[in-house]
Amino acid sequence: MTTLSFFTDGGGMHAWAIATAAMVAAGCALVGTLLVVRRMSLVGDAISHAVLPGIVVAVLAGGRPGGLLVLVGAVAAALLTVWLTQLLRTEGGLAEDAGAGVTFTSLFALGVVMVTAAASRIDLDPACILHGVLELVPFDTLPILGVEVPRAFLTAVVVFVMLAVAALATWKLQVFTAFDAGAARAAGVPVAAVTTGLLVATALATVAGFEAVGAILVVAMLVVPAATAELLSRRLHRIAVLSILLGVAAAVIGYLAAWRCNTSAAGMIAVVLGVQYLACVLLTPDDGIVARLCNHGWFAWRVACEDRLAACWRAEETAARGDAVPTLVRPTVGDRLADGWLAITGRVARGPRGWMLTARGREQADTVVRSHRLWESWLGRHADLPLDHLHPPAEWIEHHLGAQVRRRIEAEVGMRTSDPHGRTIPPEP
Amino acid sequence: MTAPIGIEPLLAISHNTLVVACGVAAVGFAAGVIGCFGVLRKRALVGDAAAHATLVGVALAFLATGRRDLPVLLVGGFISGLVALGVLVLLKRCSRTRDDAATAIVLSVSFGLGITLVSGITARGIPGGAGLEQFLLGHTAALTTADAVLLAAVSAAAVLLLVVLLKEATLVAFDSSFAAATGWPVALIDYCLVMLVAVMVVAGLPAAGAVLVTALVVIPPVAARQWTDRVPTMLLLSGVFGVVSALCGVAVSAVVPRLATGPLVVLAAAFIFAVSFVVAPDRGWWARHRQRLAHQKQ
Repeated sequence: MTTLSFFTDGGGMHAWAIATAAMVAAGCALVGTLLVVRRMSLVGDAISHAVLPGIVVAVLAGGRPGGLLVLVGAVAAALLTVWLTQLLRTEGGLAEDAGAGVTFTSLFALGVVMVTAAASRIDLDPACILHGVLELVPFDTLPILGVEVPRAFLTAVVVFVMLAVAALATWKLQVFTAFDAGAARAAGVPVAAVTTGLLVATALATVAGFEAVGAILVVAMLVVPAATAELLSRRLHRIAVLSILLGVAAAVIGYLAAWRCNTSAAGMIAVVLGVQYLACVLLTPDDGIVARLCNHGWFAWRVACEDRLAACWRAEETAARGDAVPTLVRPTVGDRLADGWLAITGRVARGPRGWMLTARGREQADTVVRSHRLWESWLGRHADLPLDHLHPPAEWIEHHLGAQVRRRIEAEVGMRTSDPHGRTIPPEP
Repeated sequence: MTAPIGIEPLLAISHNTLVVACGVAAVGFAAGVIGCFGVLRKRALVGDAAAHATLVGVALAFLATGRRDLPVLLVGGFISGLVALGVLVLLKRCSRTRDDAATAIVLSVSFGLGITLVSGITARGIPGGAGLEQFLLGHTAALTTADAVLLAAVSAAAVLLLVVLLKEATLVAFDSSFAAATGWPVALIDYCLVMLVAVMVVAGLPAAGAVLVTALVVIPPVAARQWTDRVPTMLLLSGVFGVVSALCGVAVSAVVPRLATGPLVVLAAAFIFAVSFVVAPDRGWWARHRQRLAHQKQ
């Protein structure tokens, strides 16, 4: 089978399924962005469970899955969930998570029982409640301009267009409310209406995705792309666009991977979303885990090298004064590695009494010791610390001071040549 | 001579059903008791992330052993639930993602992975694999006597451990900073409580399924909280509510085998909660309403 025929065979079956998944993902990602920045991810979770009884009642009342009646039923159920959770909080004193836990599990259980009990009478598959039936989407079509278009795709497109228009129209209000609800209220923004709008939007996005990917995996489409995009950018409109792109990409890749592995497309889409998120958590340039570990490691290595240079410098100073060089503490593995690296890069060389600084090494060691002793002088003048308390902070900060700061400190402590312990401060190389 | 032959299998079925009902009731009791501290500590939804993740472990355990032994599957589910909680803690510590989003991510992605594995197993027609779908919504009819005894034993052990830890757990739940200041290992106690919740979530899988099992550790405690301000009373009451809802679920699904057990158990618990919410003395809605009226009259 060629690549093209995969998409065109059987009236473009796979193409329609992929397009449906992509539209659903786009709508969910758009709504999810606002949910995630408003810390309402778990509200999305609750709503995606709780729309089920609303859908079932609507279908029992004669609505078609994906039709207007079903959308209305789902929105009603979503608002009922949020209202019940609030009622439990204000009237019963329940914490918000406990209230949500009670409400959405109960409503979902009610929905499942209704679906199973009425399975013979309604056109709703119990399996699709949990993980959707994306693979069956292309078989339920409506003729549009002579083309058989899957009904679920139409619903997803209509919902996405509605959500996009609503988002564009109210974007400023949504952003203002998301970042400072108090200020927004004071400025006359109808915060409650904006929030309710977001809840309605969540219900619509959820119900569009319900048939394709099921109740629980809709949560993945709502929250994961937005959370991933949030790691990549800090500007809200960019997060929204990125999150839609990530959602669509995951829908396409997930569907193809699921087809290759012969498994559930909805599950695989969630897995791909998870992989995207994990990759960003690990690999983002500034605050990804790998980048941070590298920075830590690199800094620890620089500290180790500078400490060894400074140790050599002090040993040579003691020797020059004619005192007996104290026997050094046994060097650790890290110290030995640092010594080796300093030798390779030509900053220390083997001498009669162990490692000796080369000219290059001395220049660098001068800076470190100078930073150390300048800081001790500054602390001695300003911090009113006993003499034996000056060393530890200086030992830490010597790796952080730049030339400019050293000049400022020197000006502050008055061009001294010796530190509080009476030892020479080496001049700036 | 024909009558006993006809009755015998019926008796055998009812005996098994009875044992299964006892096992599930024990799980309901233990889940209700242990869930109390999750609710009091305001961590009602921690169990939910672990519950959704158990499906991955169940599927992997099945793939590894090729058999559908309940103990093996549950151990797999327990391990993957703990892994999910570990990932959740790491994400909260090491990433910029906020806590609620991290919970939703772990929950939905691990469930997606579980669905992918289970569907893959079903699609390949591996013998016994079709039964894995029962872990989604719970199906007690498939339990054997040995399974029920195992579940009851695990529940008893969990309750016993909680009784041992009762004083410490109460202290941490109500004043964790005081507990920390007086030298109690708060992190360790919290860790034990979360482990217990994870154990009960896994033990509840056969009865309630991965999607709804969290209700077993949330709804009965919340209902019991309406009736009392004392921890021991709340624990006992919550346990009783758990038993009643579990038995209702098992009974109804035994009569109507098409219905999965989990949703029925949850609906029974929800009913108990609704009644408690309205009629409980002092904290109930009706009592508060009357207090308000009396206040207005004054």
